[in-house]
Amino acid sequence: MRIIATITFLGVLCSATYSFGNTTVFAGAFQQQGALANTSSAKDTAKVTIDTSIVRMSPVKKAIAKRLESKNSSVDPVKLSTFPAISLQQYLKGQAAGLFSQESTGEPGTVQNMFIHGTSQPLLSSREVFATQPLVVLDGVPLVSEHPFAEDIQQYKFNRIGPATNVYAAFDMANIQSVQVLSGLNATAIYGPKAANGAIVLITNDPGNKRRVTFDGYTSLAAPQSVTTINGRFENDFRKQFYNKYTSNGSFSNDDVYPVFLSDSLNNAFYGPANWSDRYYGSKLQYSVNASIDGGNERANFRFSLGNTRSAGVGDDTKLDRYSARFVINMKPLTWFTFSAMVNANQLLRDRNRNVRDRLAQVNYIPDLSNPLTPNITKYSEYLDQFDRGFDNNKSNLYNGYAKFAAEFGKFKFVSTFAVDYNEGYRDIFYPRTLLQTNNYASNYFGFNQRATIDNVATYDYDLNSDNSFNFALGQTMQYDFYQYTYAYAYKGSNDFIKLNLLNNDLTPTVFRQQLVYKFLDKTRNNQFSVYGKADYSYKTKINLSLLLRADASSTQQPTSRWFYSPVVSASWDLKKEFLQDEKGITEFNLRGSAGRMGRFENFDNYSQGPQYTAYIGFTGNLITPGYNGLAVLTRPYTAGSTGYDLKWAYTDQANLGFDLGFLNGRLNASVDAYYRHDKNMLLSVPSAAEYGYTGVIKNGMAIRNTGIDLGVSANILAADKNLFGWTSSLNANFNKNQLTALPGGLNQIVIGDKLLKVGQSVDSYWLLTNDGIYTTDAQVPADGTGRKMTYNGITLKSGDPRWRDLNGDNQITDADKTLKGNALPKVSGGWNNNFTYKNWNLGVDFYYNLGRQVMNQQMANRFDFINREGLNDITSVREVFYWEKRGDYSKYPLYNPASSVVPYQVNQDLFMENASFVKLRTLQLGYDLTAIMKKKSPNLQKFYVYGSVNNVFTLTKYSGPDPELVNYTGYDNGYGMQIPRVFMLGIKADF
Amino acid sequence: MKKIILLSLCFVVVLAGSCKKALEISSTRVVNETNYWNTLEDARAGIMGVYGLTRAALADNNGHWIYGDVRMGSFESPIRQDLKAIVRNDLNAAYPVINQLSNWRRFYAVVNAANIFLERVKEVKAKDARYTENNMNVDIAQVRFLRAFAYFYMVRIWGDVPFITSSRDGSFENRPRSNQNAILEFAQVEMETAALVLPYLYSAGDIQQPGDYYAQSRQRWSGALVRKLSAYAMLAEVAAWQGKYADVIRYSRIVITDMNRGGLSYVSTPVLTNRDGLFFTNSNGANDNQLFGFGFVYNNQDASFAGNLESLTLASPTVNKNIPDIYVPKDSILSIFKETNDGRFNIDTTGAVHADNVYFAGFLNRYPIFSKVKAILNAENDPSFRLFSSAILLTRLEEVTLLRAEAYAVLGETNSAISDLNTIRQRRYNVDQMGLTNQSSTDFVAYNVARHGPVIEAIFKERQKEFMGEGHRFYDRVRYEKIKQNNPQFMQLINTGGIYWPISRDLITQNPLLTQNSYWK
Repeated sequence: MRIIATITFLGVLCSATYSFGNTTVFAGAFQQQGALANTSSAKDTAKVTIDTSIVRMSPVKKAIAKRLESKNSSVDPVKLSTFPAISLQQYLKGQAAGLFSQESTGEPGTVQNMFIHGTSQPLLSSREVFATQPLVVLDGVPLVSEHPFAEDIQQYKFNRIGPATNVYAAFDMANIQSVQVLSGLNATAIYGPKAANGAIVLITNDPGNKRRVTFDGYTSLAAPQSVTTINGRFENDFRKQFYNKYTSNGSFSNDDVYPVFLSDSLNNAFYGPANWSDRYYGSKLQYSVNASIDGGNERANFRFSLGNTRSAGVGDDTKLDRYSARFVINMKPLTWFTFSAMVNANQLLRDRNRNVRDRLAQVNYIPDLSNPLTPNITKYSEYLDQFDRGFDNNKSNLYNGYAKFAAEFGKFKFVSTFAVDYNEGYRDIFYPRTLLQTNNYASNYFGFNQRATIDNVATYDYDLNSDNSFNFALGQTMQYDFYQYTYAYAYKGSNDFIKLNLLNNDLTPTVFRQQLVYKFLDKTRNNQFSVYGKADYSYKTKINLSLLLRADASSTQQPTSRWFYSPVVSASWDLKKEFLQDEKGITEFNLRGSAGRMGRFENFDNYSQGPQYTAYIGFTGNLITPGYNGLAVLTRPYTAGSTGYDLKWAYTDQANLGFDLGFLNGRLNASVDAYYRHDKNMLLSVPSAAEYGYTGVIKNGMAIRNTGIDLGVSANILAADKNLFGWTSSLNANFNKNQLTALPGGLNQIVIGDKLLKVGQSVDSYWLLTNDGIYTTDAQVPADGTGRKMTYNGITLKSGDPRWRDLNGDNQITDADKTLKGNALPKVSGGWNNNFTYKNWNLGVDFYYNLGRQVMNQQMANRFDFINREGLNDITSVREVFYWEKRGDYSKYPLYNPASSVVPYQVNQDLFMENASFVKLRTLQLGYDLTAIMKKKSPNLQKFYVYGSVNNVFTLTKYSGPDPELVNYTGYDNGYGMQIPRVFMLGIKADF
Repeated sequence: MKKIILLSLCFVVVLAGSCKKALEISSTRVVNETNYWNTLEDARAGIMGVYGLTRAALADNNGHWIYGDVRMGSFESPIRQDLKAIVRNDLNAAYPVINQLSNWRRFYAVVNAANIFLERVKEVKAKDARYTENNMNVDIAQVRFLRAFAYFYMVRIWGDVPFITSSRDGSFENRPRSNQNAILEFAQVEMETAALVLPYLYSAGDIQQPGDYYAQSRQRWSGALVRKLSAYAMLAEVAAWQGKYADVIRYSRIVITDMNRGGLSYVSTPVLTNRDGLFFTNSNGANDNQLFGFGFVYNNQDASFAGNLESLTLASPTVNKNIPDIYVPKDSILSIFKETNDGRFNIDTTGAVHADNVYFAGFLNRYPIFSKVKAILNAENDPSFRLFSSAILLTRLEEVTLLRAEAYAVLGETNSAISDLNTIRQRRYNVDQMGLTNQSSTDFVAYNVARHGPVIEAIFKERQKEFMGEGHRFYDRVRYEKIKQNNPQFMQLINTGGIYWPISRDLITQNPLLTQNSYWK
């Protein structure tokens, strides 16, 4: 009797708690069939289902909502935990249909981006990227990430100030029990407007009521892939071609200066051996250990885990160390009352790259750049040694936790949750004088991001009769987001020994000059208040219906349109139960669909203020002008764009239709979801009102539609139980089509910088001139009827200039002759995972692929455009040590006259666009399950599994650059992506 | 059971009550309409904003010097392709800097900020008794002047520009370009109206501005704001650009006559070229000779890596940079500075350079460094850190004097012209053959038609030397060629609109009513 009561309690509790997590883990879910699927995960799930008497607050068993979800969404965390990843983005890459994860550099701990079902914004800057990221929810705690508002004071925005560490590098997969990638509104609506771009829901392992110890660990070696280095002679020979072809005396003009570092062929630093790579690249040890202990009884239990992980990059001695601790406790002091609390603490210590660009962007000062780093290891080492006399400490502390109270009275349940996510970052820098032309530099940053959530849900279950059952839920959520930073930097300290910005009693600096100490303090807050009601209905568990109504209010919306009301309906129909009950071969046939609307959360608080004034009076090269004559100023936001009173919520309309199919006795499972996602009424600064001083006017009205298909197929090709050999294979794919459907004010197209946004085209396309070769004589340049030669923006084209295609036939090459081509985000992406088993052995072979994606090879454009870049002393003309690496195919490009004022090697032409589709063998893993053998020695043992793997084995691509993946959201390969290492690892998983 | 439901409902209601408060957060990052135009400090922030925006417009991409000095001027660029294109007037070239410089948005930000100020400042007057009628009138006069100045500056660069005198908040309608002559007339009238109201000095007991202006001292405002004589000085320039030479004399006479009341004096060559000289804005005051300029005050952390002449001109040995962005080639220096008594630069027949490190440093190097302006850090001798604090100086007493000389010369009053020219020569051609300053102030090489040619040419040659690197050269050339009418190539440029900049393609895309300058089509 008591057991029945507990089960009932759990059942109701579970359905009550789905609001914070939709924390569904369903054993029958279609999962990526991974290396361990047949062994460990199956056992884990089995155990979970048996231990029904444990006090806990997470998973939902029977909620109707569960049946409405796509089975494409779940990823197997046990399998993920055997991959040597550090960030969530790395873990999930290619694992879930519909999620595209960008790993634009192999440097561990850097910020990475994820897109679920394409992008809903043109990715112009990190602001748009921030606005397109999915929400990550850990055990019902909606996580906060770094707000890009700090970039307002940054001249160079390559990295956000502060540690710029990926906040999603704080999960240890060994602690995670389930991972779900939620894309449709039927699943994400419960999380509100912050999940308009989808949600990734992580659930950590539950405590058990028996003492149990788990141990997870691996050690691995990250090895660099070989590179071809070049020295000054190579570069000199390369440039000489142009001089030989286009000059008679080796000089383009009287003032032409051939760079000193190339002109002296006796200079061993540049003309000697190019062995810098021996110092820059190196094999690095990585490891991870994670141990947990659970205990307790039926009324109270706990789980405590500790972990330490190191992830190392193969370049520039980069690495990330993570120390994590987690404690969760569940208590049931009264039969109707349950309490649960969790604290999760992580520290991330990051050793960053020493790129000149990143350092100068931080320092915000450009020294003379005419002499680059040398390809010679001795000189390069001397340079690196300077860093040892200073420091660059990057520390992030990430904490999250919750306290949940659940009360249960018959069919009525009430759950209240208080959840906090807080992450703080520190960056302390000291660069000695030798690094910056005798000026030292010190900087200190402290910033935090905080999200506090109060969530209350009341549910009521009502079964009309055995056929008709209802779940009702009423929920209310308040979220308080707070972002703040304090930041100071100083130049020219009096010596290199005092590395801190010490202050006198009157707060004047002692070591650094007061006038050269720049201080910043900024904060932004936004609050959200939501209420929703939800009714789920099930008829004989065959037909399931759900209706959700939300009302969301945000402080970042204007007072007159603060609230946004939205509905979501979803339905599913189990055709197997309905029609194919007797069809033994077909194990599953479920039809699903949903449609609805949801607000898109606005992250910037200034739009709520209507017409406004700012203190910004900066200009190119100086954004931080403090005022005029030492007095504060207030002017309209001319640079940010004019804001009116009429701004409204942006929202997303989504619909999806899909089915799950299992046939051949369950040996073949497929899940297909067609989706329609239309993000509407979004804000865009429309370039206009220049005659009123503005760069643009912020307006609602941009709409972007993503449509596509998520496909998941898994096949049990050789069933292991019948054969000695087993082979399961699963493929996931996402086909996405992005289209801009409207611009504010009914405009048809807008030019923003070098991007064209055109209605009917995708927003991730490049806007390029079409290159048809080269004019080898002046006579080849076509002339119009009046004999006027073809021009490029008013400049007459000449011999040695590119033959750009005149699309509109006006004999002038202008922006009108540029067309939208290519896509920065892939049209098709996904993974193909295979698992072979033989007795206790298993072999995993996992592929990751992107198709229909193009990259602009800016590295090569920069190389060929050497004349213009040599002359600039700005951040774009920085040459890193990997300038001395041969990347790309030099023979692909015609030899234009590089000194021509038409800038023949400008990157925005299709000459530099390349097919960046690829297939990677991401994991090759061999594992052996020792449980049976070890159990003989120690009967307490539950699991003992050892494995070894090679990761990032090879890449198949036509891209001529190093790796088509190493490109950020813009799609321009600027060469700053550090190679993703090939990793050799050995690991163990044990449960006692 | 019912109790519990009731209680939880109450709980929800209470939370809902507190939510309204939580949703009304005033951003700490911007100021909205309700919190602005209320107090004296708001008016101050507004007017300082107009100044700040003007400074930003001039400093952006070092525009003031690139428009005025680099384009077809005495400077060459060794390695920067974009500047090379500007030097040869190839302004359609596909370089980002050229595209940004052909965009007038930043000047219209000045115009818009001024328009808003003029429309709204009365609200401050109504709400804050501390804001006096006089304070408001002086503020309005400055803002009207700055708006007129922005238009004048734009007309010189682009010719016809859209003419907008209201903020049109929220309903920004596209406007076509207006006739530049009408705009110049407007600018002249506005500046003249402003000049009548403006004081000679601020916080100095001037009858037109009694008391301390915004409670700041005379030293604080020295050189920072538009004064009566600044307005007349710019009026002289506006009139000269229009060819109204009688007006030039009228305006410049006021400046020269009242120079003492305005705290003005002619500066010596060392003061002109010292690190802490004319171009350095001293936070302790004594900047009155910056007749109309925009300071980057080091002590206020205004000093900047960009937006000053130094970032273009200075290089080794003056600062730690290998090759300057622009420099004056040796041949040009020798052809411009021919007189051996010139304190700014002179070279004797043996080739020995006297007055080294005055206008030019390292003359014997491949790239002589134009080091006239070198306000490094707090006017220091430290070459290691390229943080500069020189002011953007639009005009000064010497300029007004030479403008008057020019006007006299054009109007045929040669003797008056020579007299004004000699006023300047007295301060510059006062060194001996060894470059040492003569003892007597009257001991200088006066203008002499036989040695220096016709007076009008002498005046313009003097301008070229005196204002090198101050953003005047291009406009001086245009005026000179208009007077001389003997250079068909340049006259062709003037007549076809080639003296103007092309209008940025971005602007034309945004505003279909705009047409490109015919020369650049």
